[in-house]
Amino acid sequence: MGVIQLDRLEVRLGGRTVLAGLTGELRGHAIGLLGPNGAGKSTLINTLLGFHEPASGVARVLGLDARLDRMRIRQNVGYMPENDSFIGNMNGVRFVRYMAELAGLPSAEALERAHEALFYVGLGEVRYRKINTYSLGMKQLIKLAQGLAHGPKLLILDEPTNGLDPNARQRMIQLIKDIRKQGGTKLLISSHLLRDIDETCDEVLILNKGRIAAISNIEEERRSHLNFIELEMEGSTEGFTQKMRSLGCECASFAGGRIKLVMPDALAPRDLYIAAAEQGAQIRRIQLRRDSLEDIFLRAMDYEGGRVDHVRV
Amino acid sequence: MNPVNDTIRFENVSKFYGEVLGVNRVTLSLSPGITTLVGPNGSGKTTLMNLMTGLVQPSRGTISVLGLSPSNATEFFCNVGYCAQFDSFPRGLSGFQFVLDSLMLFGMSEEDAYHLTTESLERVQLSDEAAHRKIAGYSKGMRQKIRLAQAVAHHPRVLVLDEPLNGLDPMARAESLALFQELGRQGMHVIISSHILDEVDRISDRVVLITGGYLIAQGNIHDVRQEVRDKPMQVLIRCDRPDLLASKMFAVNHCVEARLHADGNGVFLRTGDIDEFYRLLNEIAVEGLVKIEAVAPADDNANAIYQYLIGSDGGVS
Amino acid sequence: MSVFDHDYRPYEGRLTPLGSRPLVLARYALNEAWSSKITIGLFVLALLPSLVELVIIYLADNPIARALVMRGSPALTINESFFLHVLETQCWFALVLASWIAPRLVAFDLSDNALPILLSHPISRFGYLSGKFIALAVSLSYVTWIPCLMLFVYQCYASPEPWAMGHLSLAAGIFAGAAVWIVLLSMVGLAVSSWVKWRVIATGAIFAVVFVPAGVGGIASAILRTRWGLLLNLPVVMTELWQRMLGAPALMNSRLELPTLAMVSVLIIACLLCVAVLNARIRAREVVRG
Repeated sequence: MGVIQLDRLEVRLGGRTVLAGLTGELRGHAIGLLGPNGAGKSTLINTLLGFHEPASGVARVLGLDARLDRMRIRQNVGYMPENDSFIGNMNGVRFVRYMAELAGLPSAEALERAHEALFYVGLGEVRYRKINTYSLGMKQLIKLAQGLAHGPKLLILDEPTNGLDPNARQRMIQLIKDIRKQGGTKLLISSHLLRDIDETCDEVLILNKGRIAAISNIEEERRSHLNFIELEMEGSTEGFTQKMRSLGCECASFAGGRIKLVMPDALAPRDLYIAAAEQGAQIRRIQLRRDSLEDIFLRAMDYEGGRVDHVRV
Repeated sequence: MNPVNDTIRFENVSKFYGEVLGVNRVTLSLSPGITTLVGPNGSGKTTLMNLMTGLVQPSRGTISVLGLSPSNATEFFCNVGYCAQFDSFPRGLSGFQFVLDSLMLFGMSEEDAYHLTTESLERVQLSDEAAHRKIAGYSKGMRQKIRLAQAVAHHPRVLVLDEPLNGLDPMARAESLALFQELGRQGMHVIISSHILDEVDRISDRVVLITGGYLIAQGNIHDVRQEVRDKPMQVLIRCDRPDLLASKMFAVNHCVEARLHADGNGVFLRTGDIDEFYRLLNEIAVEGLVKIEAVAPADDNANAIYQYLIGSDGGVS
Repeated sequence: MSVFDHDYRPYEGRLTPLGSRPLVLARYALNEAWSSKITIGLFVLALLPSLVELVIIYLADNPIARALVMRGSPALTINESFFLHVLETQCWFALVLASWIAPRLVAFDLSDNALPILLSHPISRFGYLSGKFIALAVSLSYVTWIPCLMLFVYQCYASPEPWAMGHLSLAAGIFAGAAVWIVLLSMVGLAVSSWVKWRVIATGAIFAVVFVPAGVGGIASAILRTRWGLLLNLPVVMTELWQRMLGAPALMNSRLELPTLAMVSVLIIACLLCVAVLNARIRAREVVRG
């Protein structure tokens, strides 16, 4: 049974068809939700939570129908919205406890779980202050804490690292990885930062203009792209690229001594070094191309524009 | 005004909001190109930007932007464009009207303003149809684009952007970054504040690190990195025999630390002399006793500098 | 010795029944409403008339005391008119209390966009509003039918003749009258609070909603030379309704008398309007058109 099942799901809002016939099944432990602005990501999340009624078709979360079993779905789901969403007048503990009680926990257990969740996300003494005095990072964490407190089976995170400074972002990513490692809770993460999704998710759903552009298992994709290599070199790169091409590689060179190439199976990195030494160049960085997610995404978008740096092949 | 003055200069600038510190004794000199402001939330980045755009006056010290002073308002504001972080717009306007009205404030004719508006919307890739819809109905990414459009519309020479990529999808991010690079190449001063450090790395000419209201470092990323002397450069090498590689490296005296990677297939090496290090590494790779799969500087980037200088608790380390 | 691991663990305990979630909401809402000193102040203020009326009932039932205190004043009778007066006073105080409490219940949730998180829990919009409604209704009960019925009970106790049996319908009328007012006031209070952003303005708006239509109705009546404009006059309508529920003698001259059905219809329409407003404003996500 997949985490999310969609069967010709269609959702109309304000007279427009926002989601047009989505069909697919997602089984991963951590599912990334990607897509350009306006693709329908928020609408999909809202439909799964039961905020919107599908015009036709079925959406299932953890096997439960999003239209008929809304309450049971909400029982098993924790939601961390993208925008600010809290009751400013309450302090952290009270707010999380309130949410836990709404999720069905008896009052005393709710208090215990609230403190546990706050401890887990790393909110210390701050939990006794009113939420409208919190910094942005703390507000994100309190949203996460209230999503976790009732022990949901699925955690939906909408832009969890939004606005966080690098350290807070690192901590949030680490928390998400920990939750995923724990195993009991599945994750659905919507984000614009491909890096975040790449680090935390094992499956991605890419939406575009209200349709599914791709469903892809990142782990498998990564394993099949081992011969893509990125280099940074000092010295003469012209000679080097010529040499590599003569050996059968596809090469593309960029500004700053950066080179991308695809090596045929017969070659090994050592051959790169030998070729470099021959040309009097020095290799300063070798990296297996880890941006397979970016490739997947661009391919799914059928993107004509290409990447930021201009390619000279 | 010096006609060839093209720097933004801060001389011992402090800004206090009552007792609360904004920034303290900041001295900066920024040339054209892309400068990235990096620092934790609440470190003074927004204050710095407000000072640069003339929205607040310094408590002490002087600021000169391209030779103009913020107190000379008319000329100053014609040359500066600001794309703020906050998401408020006048109610009831469409995107097009918003940019048009902002341009009209510069005193130009409606016809000129119209042309500039169309041009600017094209630059940020906001479709005509979307531009004529009300801003209230925009998605987050579209709002970001319209803010950007307004900031660049009057062709300023200094462009200050507070987290301009927030909420943009990956393609829009790439397009915006390309736009900023283009503007930087044209000789504009582009000041960007961002938390996404790997994007910072890719496009910045220089970086300014700030925390707790104090300037911690400024300059080209690689130069800054080399100046952090108490932390020698670290390189991660993935190979089949990390132990052998480490012992070979230890044989030379500029390698000061070797740490095996947790998965046993790599080693972190710290060295005081990076050029020698690479020369030696290339030789070892050609020799072939150790099969080298990947080489990456582990800390020659904005993220590492951030960790070293600002630390994980946001305070100065 | 061991090192304890505090990892995240799932919840395995019991869950409260789904239907009791609105009560959770009501509990927190009551807590929020009554945590303010002003609420307590208004509450005390609202009970002062009851104290006065308590004394009046005592005096009315104790001729000796009355002779001592009042020396030859006109006779005090405790009858339907008296209780009508009591109910009216309490209900207008309830308006004041409602206009203070209702915004507190809703504004805090709306001001920081808490609805998406609230509604992502197993509670529907209807459940959410029911919870707030219950909290408001309970708070208003404290100042309407509860003190009135307590006065009634005291009268039954203090009265020299057997009073209770003959006046049970009065008690029922008091309760029903207060209930109608509570429902109306709660609906209006919640609707206005969800519409208006700032609490202070919402307080004023609730008063406005009650009194302004009266003015409009009066103008309509004068221009169109009809008595139907009085239907918009909430104070008059409520007084009429209470008078009929309590069985008190008619207060207005028969020329201006309004049929009960018409008055009840107006109230129902008002409630439906409030429901429409709430339906539009209490949403997890706003849909912006155009």
